[in-house]
Amino acid sequence: MNLDPKIPSGPLEDKWKQHLKDVKLVSPNNKRKYSVIVVGTGLAGASAAASLAELGYNVKTFCIQDSARRAHSIAAQGGINAAKNYQNDGDSVWRLFYDTIKGGDYRSREANVYRLAENSNHIIDQAVAQGVPFGREYGGLLDNRSFGGAQVSRTFYSRGQTGQQLLLGAYQAMMKEVHSGKIQNYPRQEMLDLVVVDGKARGIITRNLVSGEIQKWYADAVVLCTGGYGNVFYLSTNAKNSNVTAAWRCHKRGAAFANPCFVQIHPTCIPVSGEYQSKLTLMSESLRNDGRVWVPKAKGDKRKPNDIPEDERYYFLEERYPSFGNLVPRDVASRNAKLVTDDGLGVGETGLAVYLDFRDAIKREGKDVIQAKYGNLFDMYENIADENPYETPMKIFPAVHYTMGGLWVDYNLMSNIPGLFVAGEANFSDHGANRLGASALMQGLSDGYFIIPYTVGNYLADNEFSKVSTDHEAFKEAAETSSKQLDKLLSIQGDKTIIEFHRELGKIMWDKVGISRSKEGLESAISQIRKLREEFWQNVRVPGEAGYYNKYLEYALRLVDYFELAELMALDAIDRNESCGCHLRDEYQSEEGEAIRNDDDYAYVAAWEYLGVNGKLETKLHKEPLEFEFVEMKQRSYK
Amino acid sequence: MPSIIEAFQSQVGRKILTGLTGFLLLFFVIFHLAGNLAIFGDPDAMNSYSHFLHQLGPLLWIARIGLIIIFVVHAWIGISIWLGKRKARPKDYNVYSSKGGPSKQSLSSRSMAFTGFVLLVFVVIHINTFALGDAGTVVVDGEQMTDIKTLVINTFQNPIYAFGYTFVMILLGAHLGHGIWSAFTSLTLRSPKASATIYTIGAVVAVLLAAGFLFIPLYIYFGGGCEAALINCN
Amino acid sequence: MSDMTINLKIWRQKNSTDSGRFEDYLLPGVNEHMSFLEMLDVLNEKLMKEGGDPVEFDHDCREGICGSCNMVINGRAHGPKHQTAACQLHMRNYNDGDTIVIEPPRAAAFPVIKDLVVDRSALDRIIEAGGYISVKTGAAPEANLIPVPQEVSNQAFDYATCIGCGACVAACPNSSASLFTGAKLSHLNSLPQGQPERDKRSIAMVNQMEKEGFGDCSNYAECEAVCPVGISISAIAQMRRDYMKAVF
Repeated sequence: MNLDPKIPSGPLEDKWKQHLKDVKLVSPNNKRKYSVIVVGTGLAGASAAASLAELGYNVKTFCIQDSARRAHSIAAQGGINAAKNYQNDGDSVWRLFYDTIKGGDYRSREANVYRLAENSNHIIDQAVAQGVPFGREYGGLLDNRSFGGAQVSRTFYSRGQTGQQLLLGAYQAMMKEVHSGKIQNYPRQEMLDLVVVDGKARGIITRNLVSGEIQKWYADAVVLCTGGYGNVFYLSTNAKNSNVTAAWRCHKRGAAFANPCFVQIHPTCIPVSGEYQSKLTLMSESLRNDGRVWVPKAKGDKRKPNDIPEDERYYFLEERYPSFGNLVPRDVASRNAKLVTDDGLGVGETGLAVYLDFRDAIKREGKDVIQAKYGNLFDMYENIADENPYETPMKIFPAVHYTMGGLWVDYNLMSNIPGLFVAGEANFSDHGANRLGASALMQGLSDGYFIIPYTVGNYLADNEFSKVSTDHEAFKEAAETSSKQLDKLLSIQGDKTIIEFHRELGKIMWDKVGISRSKEGLESAISQIRKLREEFWQNVRVPGEAGYYNKYLEYALRLVDYFELAELMALDAIDRNESCGCHLRDEYQSEEGEAIRNDDDYAYVAAWEYLGVNGKLETKLHKEPLEFEFVEMKQRSYK
Repeated sequence: MPSIIEAFQSQVGRKILTGLTGFLLLFFVIFHLAGNLAIFGDPDAMNSYSHFLHQLGPLLWIARIGLIIIFVVHAWIGISIWLGKRKARPKDYNVYSSKGGPSKQSLSSRSMAFTGFVLLVFVVIHINTFALGDAGTVVVDGEQMTDIKTLVINTFQNPIYAFGYTFVMILLGAHLGHGIWSAFTSLTLRSPKASATIYTIGAVVAVLLAAGFLFIPLYIYFGGGCEAALINCN
Repeated sequence: MSDMTINLKIWRQKNSTDSGRFEDYLLPGVNEHMSFLEMLDVLNEKLMKEGGDPVEFDHDCREGICGSCNMVINGRAHGPKHQTAACQLHMRNYNDGDTIVIEPPRAAAFPVIKDLVVDRSALDRIIEAGGYISVKTGAAPEANLIPVPQEVSNQAFDYATCIGCGACVAACPNSSASLFTGAKLSHLNSLPQGQPERDKRSIAMVNQMEKEGFGDCSNYAECEAVCPVGISISAIAQMRRDYMKAVF
């Protein structure tokens, strides 16, 4: 397996500029001869599709939702970072780069991250020109806020709906090209396989979710923008339809999967209220600026929070991290919430929650001030949890939020299968072992608007393409494989539902491949996953038929891939004998419970090759060493 | 760019026309009521007013034809919207209810087509009764003129006319209750604040107009025509 | 509070050509903290256990922003609560023994795909007709070059916040898409960036809306009442203004 990252040589600041000078171009009248498939229409997909179409390529877009506008990028709340330095607080491309690579705990590529920071400014220009209504100051210029503990104010925002506004901008740009005829848009289509001909990605197989028909599509390049895999945990802040299937099927066709164990768990979500819970809702982490996190000191204390006197409260973040207190980074806050609940100190009916208390902030600043800052968040909390956070502390708990891992890509965002490009959360590239707040939107749009259009062109110009039609053997084989799998799922007719299996898988993952992991736990997770997967293929009940709209069949199909991915995540977590970013191994922490990174042995990207599933997942690890020429690797400390 | 004719055939254009014609009809109705109230004035006021209008000659005809066109356009679009409704939702809800709050759904707004249609029929009857009716003549200040006043008084002695008119005038009020505000909105009133004020004013105007109109037939009927206290026949 | 038992009356329709019918379900064990969609999940689990066909409904983010869910609950799009999408509606708004009737949004422009799932691609085609600012990637000037007064920007946001769920169409007695179309026009037409294409956009989107088979707007304002993000019908007034300005 060739995992050459193809990073251009030269100074960090010049790598991308030089690369742009070096990429091959396709002449305008040749562009219309090429076709590109874009799968997924979130920030990365919609922006890539629009930009490629503007250049003159024939683009086909596919998404599982009923409209391209509904991709899960739409739910991003906080904002998008850019190194504009509008606030004159000393921000620069270098600082944004440095914060991002440090925040990722030195498990990402310097060159990729630097390019991301460079592109950040273009994204803001592009979005504003499209009519994205960012927050503005009285003078009419763009406003910024500080986010996620950053020392500069570099976050652009549209109230709490930045993802929505940026996605609508990209979606509208895409619809403009649908209008011009350069994009053929296919909603309600799920990618089931990648078609590889002569070693190149030449098309995809989809299931038309309305008619149930298996369809074949060919192209000269495929751009995968299908998001993350957080739903392997069953409960996450991801949308219900977010899934790993498209990426996983590419993996099965030979694309390496990188750093699958890097999963970000967000500390401030509304806790689970019962078995029926279908998803988790994120509360902005800005709440920790004023809220104090605590649990009762006594186990099983069933008193109402306001009846528990001050000296019987355990403000565990403030006590353990006196200098950062409640503002420790996401991973530290999440981990500590788990520690106290593991000790039996958790609150609420399930015992899986901690308090986030605004009593002191309200006393100090007055209810009006707190309401002005967090009013909409408090309302949202009250609507869901049915408790008034002005009067009684919020209950929060960590939840799976974002996956840094994904398909391996080189500097051109091309996987190790020529012609298969991967952008946005679906690739592994820029966030290392931990993503900073307001960086996901930035990466999706940087990939889609400002990288893919050049690098896809370079690939097309650089290669010869034989004429391929969907009658090719490879298309038939892939379509049949997909069809057979559907039939098999429908034929089992067991007596456990899909959700029961998914819930069980999620519990194994959360308990053993979640906030903290141990070798022992991971090994037992692997055997549990295998057992459950076995049982799934014997005993699942998938309703209905394949020939019409059947959401539970879609669901079952996605679960099939989660079962395999889950095992890979555990394997990856076992392999990584260190704690870094969101990956905390119990064995590798200091006596005070701080993560210990091992740069000598683990400063690499773990890229996994799929070999097959035979009771167990057969896989092979390849390592892409990470070299740090421009920054010094430092240990994080928040004490 | 669509031509002006095409523009007025679009959904937006049709609504603007509805609002525009609605306003013109509203002004007409206000003038009409003012004319009607002449019945309570000087014994000859109503007939003189009517005579004055008749003397306008060609101007009157222009006004009449204009009014008919406005009325027909207003009714035509209203009926077409009502018919379009079925096309846009061939299968109706089994259960349907308004969510309230900012919704302007009410008996008034939901019955626009019905009240409008009744008013259409009414206008035909009304013209037949009074404009084309068999009125005598009367001499006022040496001038011979149509005695519309007597015709009105005689007509409303008939309970069918008196109560029929009353009923229709209630419907007119209902029509205007939504219609006045709606016309403003159709003619692109944007401010939510002004909109709320106009909605209230519109409803009050609608009630006043309806009350003004229905007061006359009821008063004549119960008051016994020329015997009525406020009506001075000689 | 103990669990509730809910009587459900749900529209079942195999596909766009099937005539469809209501089916009744008795669902015990409904918890007050469940979201409305979680209640339907529980129903589906029960149906699948019994070997039945689960009820299909569109859903995705379940936090009120993607606009996937759009069902008509007891005659109201998204249910009884104002500015709340069906996915954010909780069962504590109902009582033990309640009967809940669930229908798909009904409009000729939204053909039923299955049960409560409808095809809303007509809304995409309205955007496709002109709901964008034509700026190519890379052609954008420096973002702070054009100041936009804060109140203009805020107002544009109020319209841009539309989630495209189609509740406005579902609730409108005439099945009009004026609020949806007006919101996008008001968003783009109010910004300086949107001026060059303002006239063209207004005409194209209004024409497309009619072509898709949506009904006329009769100013019922029911759309505003059901809109999960509370978009004002002043968007419709703005649309009319911009359309007429474009013509004259």
